[in-house]
Amino acid sequence: MTNTSDPVVQTQNLTKRYGEFCALDDLTIHVSRGEILGFIGPNGAGKTTTIKILVGLSRPTSGTASITGVNCSENASKIKRLVGYMPDKFGSYDNMRVREYLDFFGAIFGLNGKARQKRIDEVMEITDATYMQDKFVESLSHGMQQRVGIARTLLHDPEVLILDEPANGLDPKARIEMREILLRLAAEGKTLIVTSHILPELARICDTVAIITGGRLRAFGQLDEVMRDLCPLRNYEVQLVEIDDMEKANQLLQQPLGDTQISVSKQERTLRFPTADTEQALAGILQSLVSNGIQVAQFREVASDLEDAFLSVASGAKSS
Amino acid sequence: MFWHNPIFRRELLGRLRSWKTLAAILAVAIASSVLVLLRWPTDGTIAIVSQGAMLVFRPLAFALTLAVMMLVPAFPATSLVAERRKGTLGLLLNSPTTPLQIYLGKLLSNVSLSLILISVSVPALCACLAMGGVSLIDHVGPLLIVLLAMAIQYSAVGLWISLRSSSSDASLRWTYAAVLALAVLSMGPLVLAGNLSGVVGFIAQWITALSPMSALQQITGVQGAASTIGMSTGWIEFLGATVLITAGLGVVTVRKLDPILLDRARPTGKVQTGSNQSGFRKIAYLVDPNKRKSGIPIWLNPVMVKEFRTRKFGRLHWLIRLVSLCAIISLMLTALAATGTVSWGVERIAGPLVLMQVALLLLVGPSLGANLIAAEVESGGWQILRVTPISANRILVGKVMSVFWTMLLILLATLPGYAVMSYIQPALGGQVSNVIVSLLVAVCMVVCISSCVSAFSKSTSAATATSYGILLIIFAGSLLVWLARGKPFGPVLVERILMFNPAAAALSEMKTPGFEQYSLTPASWWVGCSICLLSIAILSLRVWRMTRPD
Repeated sequence: MTNTSDPVVQTQNLTKRYGEFCALDDLTIHVSRGEILGFIGPNGAGKTTTIKILVGLSRPTSGTASITGVNCSENASKIKRLVGYMPDKFGSYDNMRVREYLDFFGAIFGLNGKARQKRIDEVMEITDATYMQDKFVESLSHGMQQRVGIARTLLHDPEVLILDEPANGLDPKARIEMREILLRLAAEGKTLIVTSHILPELARICDTVAIITGGRLRAFGQLDEVMRDLCPLRNYEVQLVEIDDMEKANQLLQQPLGDTQISVSKQERTLRFPTADTEQALAGILQSLVSNGIQVAQFREVASDLEDAFLSVASGAKSS
Repeated sequence: MFWHNPIFRRELLGRLRSWKTLAAILAVAIASSVLVLLRWPTDGTIAIVSQGAMLVFRPLAFALTLAVMMLVPAFPATSLVAERRKGTLGLLLNSPTTPLQIYLGKLLSNVSLSLILISVSVPALCACLAMGGVSLIDHVGPLLIVLLAMAIQYSAVGLWISLRSSSSDASLRWTYAAVLALAVLSMGPLVLAGNLSGVVGFIAQWITALSPMSALQQITGVQGAASTIGMSTGWIEFLGATVLITAGLGVVTVRKLDPILLDRARPTGKVQTGSNQSGFRKIAYLVDPNKRKSGIPIWLNPVMVKEFRTRKFGRLHWLIRLVSLCAIISLMLTALAATGTVSWGVERIAGPLVLMQVALLLLVGPSLGANLIAAEVESGGWQILRVTPISANRILVGKVMSVFWTMLLILLATLPGYAVMSYIQPALGGQVSNVIVSLLVAVCMVVCISSCVSAFSKSTSAATATSYGILLIIFAGSLLVWLARGKPFGPVLVERILMFNPAAAALSEMKTPGFEQYSLTPASWWVGCSICLLSIAILSLRVWRMTRPD
């Protein structure tokens, strides 16, 4: 029996050069079964290059990439059956209905007769696309097309799904529906690699993240680990009841926090500061505020998000 | 004044910076110069009253006409449809620029470009004048006016069709069809009905005046088919017809350039099963277009089925209509062949029949073939096909066969005319078989060349325009050389060049006047087959390369 912690997707020192230009430099990552990897990076970071190597559309200059142990560049025909790939461009055909579109790809993957029709029904149900089966593909909204795209990638029941910007251009409702579909697929044991620019969206579905800039891996691991590593300082927010107490509270906070930059928002009656202090030290700060007669409405940690982590990596990469 | 029109400036400057424009201008300049050089007298003296200059002027006039027909419609045909697909037409219509300014900007920029294109042939035309025997007022001047009128007319037609089309390649296809109809089919009423009198005759003459052929024949003094069918219009009538058609199309296009009129709902598709109307639809269409299609059968190439289904006229109910239309055309041709063979002789009627079939194949074939790979790349479908297990060979076979079957269907539907000829003159059996083989070779050439071009293009419009260009050079260009037979091209050279044209082989088989002296079969078939094999080899290599990892 396969161990669920065994890496399904693995890259080892993956490098891709186009002449002098290095699109991908020594990338080593792994994704386990049922995990969702969020692949993050600015435009031109090397995300699509990595994906193209994984799906067998491009050969690495050096290093290896494998899916369930099958080498991506040496055994491209096997990889095509193991991976379902949805590029950022939909690839629709004119005058073709959704069911015909799926039927065409089903036939290409060698599904025949009743088995193909049954599988089309299944994938349309998984992606909630059954009601649009008779509509022309080009007439669908972007969100609907993305669902048909995922249905297409599922036709041959692949182990790994690689989705390039699936949430791009979707409205909030379609984004929520997309998120639910992806989480459902992961729960069914599919391994997903998802790239996106919408980082809060990724943070809601990913178990693992890989942040890549300039072709180099800057951070990789479980989402909370990466967040801890990249954002060691926690942000705290103190909201006061009286606006007149702002100055006094600022002075009281300066004593334990030292040189820490405290941002003050009079409109919100709020003071914000980053800190690496322990819980006890923070409890002492709160006690000192209260004992000095300042009425505190809220004293809370503001959670860092993936955007903060990404910005931290991106600014680090730029300065280096 | 027009220089201040932003659309005019952008279009003209943008196109002048394009290498395609430079290539077109150079091609016209080189071709016209070469034609003059080849026909330039080598003797020390030349009689001014002789036909020497006319021998240079005539092929040059026909070559320039062909160049204008080939090159001018391509730009306006893709202009408005490309803007609409990119969303920039909406921006223009929502700006203070008026629809008339947009239209005039596009029309005049194209006419200006055409003017540049025509002007590069002026040195060659001046050489004709220098030889004597050709006059500025009777020949060169009218020719330049007719060429300019053609450019205006075809630009107006291209823009009108472009605004109504949903894709660039469809627009190109319909524009070239319209140009063909204006130039050749407009002579149909006179050909079919003969020299008529009264109102009907007047209308027939004016429809015929839409064609530049009668104007050209008047200018060059060639007594050809035009005079034999009773065509009495000249270049003045052509100018009148051009003004009428350009003004009419201009008004319609400007009125249509409205954001509200352009806001069309996308067809969402409708499938009705089990309704009362289903039976009626089955009778009306033979195949119910609203019925959900069954899956692709295991024995069929899925790529081929997909190609048929994604074509607007590829669905079964459309194919039935297409075949019906071809059958009607075929019946008309059969009637024409039957009456014509008896009264005019086989040679006379077979020529137009062959030319009509080749024109139909040339019209439909390149647009279908050029779509095969380029459209797939353009839509992003190729990237998806690459990550499926289907082999390059299966993709290629599916795609090429989808065009080949369609072309074969069209060809078969237009063949009964030959059967009538064979029936009337049984001795013609062998010749008719050779004609059919030549037409089959023509079909293969059209399919293979346009598919090959498609594999090297990233946009369907470029692939379609290039395919039309190459095939017109082969099929019409070789006929231009034939027109200049005698001087400077000797019979051997003309015969060799005609071997590249299976239509010429078919004409020579039917002993069409002007082609009797050539013996083109079976050499022409071997040349055609070699071109097909070469194209297929290049296409296979290219497709194989395109399916490999980068």
